[in-house]
Amino acid sequence: MQDRPSGFGNPWLQLALSVLCVLVSELLLKRGANDIADPSSVWSWTGINGLASPLVWLGIAFIIASFLSWLYVLKYIPLVIAFPLSRVVDILVPLGCWIFLGEFISTRRWCGIALVVIGLALVAKPVARIEERL
Amino acid sequence: MTFLAFFFILSSLLSFVWAQLVLKRAMENTQKSGFRNLRFISRVAGGIALMTISFFLMLGLLQRFDLSYLYPFQGLSVIIISLMAAVMLKEKLTLQLTIGALLISAGIVLVSLS
Repeated sequence: MQDRPSGFGNPWLQLALSVLCVLVSELLLKRGANDIADPSSVWSWTGINGLASPLVWLGIAFIIASFLSWLYVLKYIPLVIAFPLSRVVDILVPLGCWIFLGEFISTRRWCGIALVVIGLALVAKPVARIEERL
Repeated sequence: MTFLAFFFILSSLLSFVWAQLVLKRAMENTQKSGFRNLRFISRVAGGIALMTISFFLMLGLLQRFDLSYLYPFQGLSVIIISLMAAVMLKEKLTLQLTIGALLISAGIVLVSLS
């Protein structure tokens, strides 16, 4: 890892922003895709008819934002570290549904969340060591 | 799951993985050669094209299946990308990172199964 900017240019902050934008876009895309679902049409396999939904367009805007910060992240952080960390979004979605929407989380799902957290800790640990040395 | 669905899920996943590798290489090279060269532009364009393909395939799949059904396959991307980054980009994949990636993948699958 090279010298890198601090503040807003901090790649770890950008990684967090990228993850948040992905989270929002996933929810928007699912809502949008549901709104215009037309499984009888052959073209719908390509997903192109999804563009009829304004929510899909909003989702695309968030994807572009997450993409730009992700490119910035890639410049500074190795893929074997950045990508696994970016998947923290996969537990943020169910946790968000639990906290904000009052949805039920089964024991099995809690176990899955625990596994992801342990995995993230394993990936993040070498990072903490590298950061200490800097 | 039909063969067609499996084919589209796999295509979406693989084009996403490929895009990440191409983009990583593009951004790495900006350290040396900056942004204004044909190689950087073509790599980023290629990466964006692959992500776009993956995106529309996923949008098509979302119209047919629940997000919770499709998510386990996205979970696999963690371990695939870690392995490919080690092989193709010669990134250092330690045992700890491998176990971490495996646990994250397994956790995502568990979360989306329930």
